[in-house]
Parts: sequence; structure tokens; C-alpha cells
Amino acid sequence: MSDYLCHDFKTPRNDTSRRLPDSFKAIPALFYLALVVTAYFMTMDWRAYKKAEQDKIQAEASKGQHETKTKDLQTEKVGLDAETAKAEILAKWMEGARNVQPISVAIARAMPTEVRLSDLSLERSDQVPANLALSVRINGGSLREVGLMESGLSRLQYRSYAPQQSKEGDVIQYRSTLIRAEQ
Amino acid sequence: MLWDELKSLLNFSAFKAEADDASVPWNKRFEGRKTLLLNVGRSQTSWRSVNKRGVFDDGGVMDGDFSDIAPQRANEWRMLADGGWCVVSVNNRFIISLEVNMMRGENCTSLLQTNPRAVLGPKYDRGKRYGICHHPDTSSSMLLACEESLVKVTEDVLKTIGLRPGRVCCGLFALTEHAIHEMYVTKRLNTAANFALVSACEGSVAIVIQQDGQWKELRSRSGMGPDSVETSLQIITPLLQKLPQGSPIYFISDGQDVKFRTEVMSVLEKMGGQDLTEEDLLWKVIGTN
Repeated sequence: MSDYLCHDFKTPRNDTSRRLPDSFKAIPALFYLALVVTAYFMTMDWRAYKKAEQDKIQAEASKGQHETKTKDLQTEKVGLDAETAKAEILAKWMEGARNVQPISVAIARAMPTEVRLSDLSLERSDQVPANLALSVRINGGSLREVGLMESGLSRLQYRSYAPQQSKEGDVIQYRSTLIRAEQ
Repeated sequence: MLWDELKSLLNFSAFKAEADDASVPWNKRFEGRKTLLLNVGRSQTSWRSVNKRGVFDDGGVMDGDFSDIAPQRANEWRMLADGGWCVVSVNNRFIISLEVNMMRGENCTSLLQTNPRAVLGPKYDRGKRYGICHHPDTSSSMLLACEESLVKVTEDVLKTIGLRPGRVCCGLFALTEHAIHEMYVTKRLNTAANFALVSACEGSVAIVIQQDGQWKELRSRSGMGPDSVETSLQIITPLLQKLPQGSPIYFISDGQDVKFRTEVMSVLEKMGGQDLTEEDLLWKVIGTN
């Protein structure tokens, strides 16, 4: 058929609107494009959210495991710390507990031949094993022997703390606490 | 209202022509939709449907007044038209006349529909609806004047039965316009300086005579009925005799009434008449263009 356009004399309507120009088709096209892009991003975000939720559950489970492990390790550490403290005390005690034989020898050597020791006791302190309670009874001696004895002990790095001496006739009673001098 | 506008924008229908936008061919307005074509005569109404593929489908003819026929056929017609849209060819109570120096222009057609006085000037008659067909080379024009009351009654009847006219036209005038367009625009080189064009559409007839490239005479009669061969020939023959010997005579008709067409052509062929009619031409002209 030709491009002839048939005439028309119908009663015109008032509520008609002219068709929009074709260039305006960009508006709905952009709308649908925006809809698709938004839907794409929403889907991706939703999937990421779901994945994050699963990761969170896994992380929480892992955190629980780690906390249990930490608790166990802390309990073990407390035990070990207690053992260490005990060992340290023991080591300190062992460190302070030196031989008393050299002290006895040094006291005996300090005494001249005419002087006799009727009684000699060395008692280690329970708390501080380095401290020794010395008690000596010297028969036929004088204060000079006491000085000789202290000199001999000082060579062994011991010094007398709160020495007490008393003389009853020929007997000199000497008491002192020997303290090991630190190097 | 705003929602409807947004909806039409988003489903792209805002970019399609309105169903009754006269500036767009009918088949473009209703692509993919069924429509109904009606030809309303004085004592007879014929119809044809166009299916979604644009192919002519069911049709029929019924004798009687349109206002009586329409309610009886309402259900059938509504089924044949998506949204109730139809073309109505008013084939009664009209006059086609020859005019000169009519206003021409691109908006002339739409102006004739909305403000005919601006186009016709003193020739405007308040109770008429108009259609116009210009001679492509001269200042002559064919002016169709149809009774406005008939158009309004027809529209009201259709509205009552739930149909919506997307176009109201005159079948005979449409056939004549189509033939003129075919001769002057499509087959321009073959147009003779002298010729006669006889148009017939379900009981209405028109004849236009061209002499020396000018439309000289035009005569039309509407609403004569299908058995009016004699009357039609009485209108046609005197004008044909004014043509110079050997001038071509073209005949165009609705393509449905074979009896009328055969009888008229039997007379015209003796004077060298050529039949331009095609099958279902009326429906093609009003349902396609």
C-alpha cells in the first residue's frame, strides 16, 4: 500500500497527549539499566553478607576453641609458675646452704694449743640457710682467742652479727650469728 | 493519573501513537492488536476484523439501521477489537464537492478536525464534519462534508456497546483519495490530462472529471443502497460524455459487492473503463493507511 493517510473527522478527544519523542526512550532505558545494576549490586551484597555471616560463625567457633585452649594453657602455666616458685625457693635455700666443716676447721685452727674448745655448735637457720647460729665454749682462753676466731671466720667471708660473750671463770661462752658476706 | 503516565513511560507506550492519533496510519497505531473495521450505510452495515498479524479476518454484513444492528452484534464486535478500538466508515449523508484555493499546509488536516472554520472560512457549515483532498498540481480540492449529527449518533451508539472509534471517515471519500494518491503520487508518470474517476462504496457513488490537468466536475450521491446500479449510471454517464474521446475512465470500488462492480464495469468497459479495484480494497484503505 502507498503512504496515503486516510482522513478522519471523529470528535476530537480532550484527554489525549502527544507521543513522546524517541530520544526520551533513554529515560526508561536508563531506569531499567539502573534497576539491573542495582539488582546486581544488591545480589552481590546479599551474597557477601551471607558469606560474612558464615565466616562469623566459623570465627566464633574458632574463637571458642582458642579460648578453651588458652584456658587450659593458663591453668598449666599457673601450675608451672607454682612449681617454679617452689624450685626457686629450693634453689635459693641450696644456694645459701654452704658447708659448715670449713668453719669448724677455721675455729679449731684459730685456737692456740693450750686452749680447748669444750663445746661448739653450728645451727643453720631454717629461713636463711646462709646464716648460722654459732655457740662456742672456750676453756682457758681469753678475749684474744675470740678475736683470732673472728679473724679466721672473716677469711671465710663470714662476719659475726650480734656477738655475745660471757666469761665464767676460765670458760668463755661466745654466741654469734654468722652471716655470709656477699662477694 | 501520574501513575498512568509513569506506567506508559516505563512500558514504552508513551512513545507509541495514541489510538486515535489521526496523523499515524492505522496499522502502525495498532501493531499486534486486533481491530474492527465498520462501514455504516443507510440501510446496511458491513464489518471486518483485522487480527494481531494485520491480516483481515472475520467479517459480515447485516441489513438495517446501525443503531439496531450495533446492540445485536455488540458481543461479536467487542471480541474482534482489542480495547474496543474500531474504524468507522460513515457511508451516508455526506456530500463531496469541488473547491478551489483551499488552505493547504502540513497542519491543515489536523486543523480541519479541530477548527474547520480556520481552514474553510465562509464555506464552513456548523453542522458538518469535513475531509479534504487536494489536487497535487492545481489549486483544486475535493471537500467532503458529512452530517455532524450522524457522526455523533454513530459514535454514541458505539460508545453504548463498548466500542471506541479510533477513526471516523467516509469510505467513498477514502477510496477516491486513495485512487487520486495512487494516480498522482505513486504512478505519477501515467497520469493523463483528461480522465474520469468513478468511485463506488456500498451504495454511494462519486465521479470526478479531469480535463486539461484540472478537476472540472465532481458529482456524488450517498446512501443509494446496493441495488442502485441504474441510479449510479444515471449520475455517472452524463459526465462521462463530456470527456474527450479516448480519455481513460478509472473505476474504483469497495471490492466486496461483485454484482454492482460487474454491472457498472460492463457499461464502463464499453467506454474504455479500467477497474482499479482490488479485493477488500475498502478495508485495506481504511484499515491500513
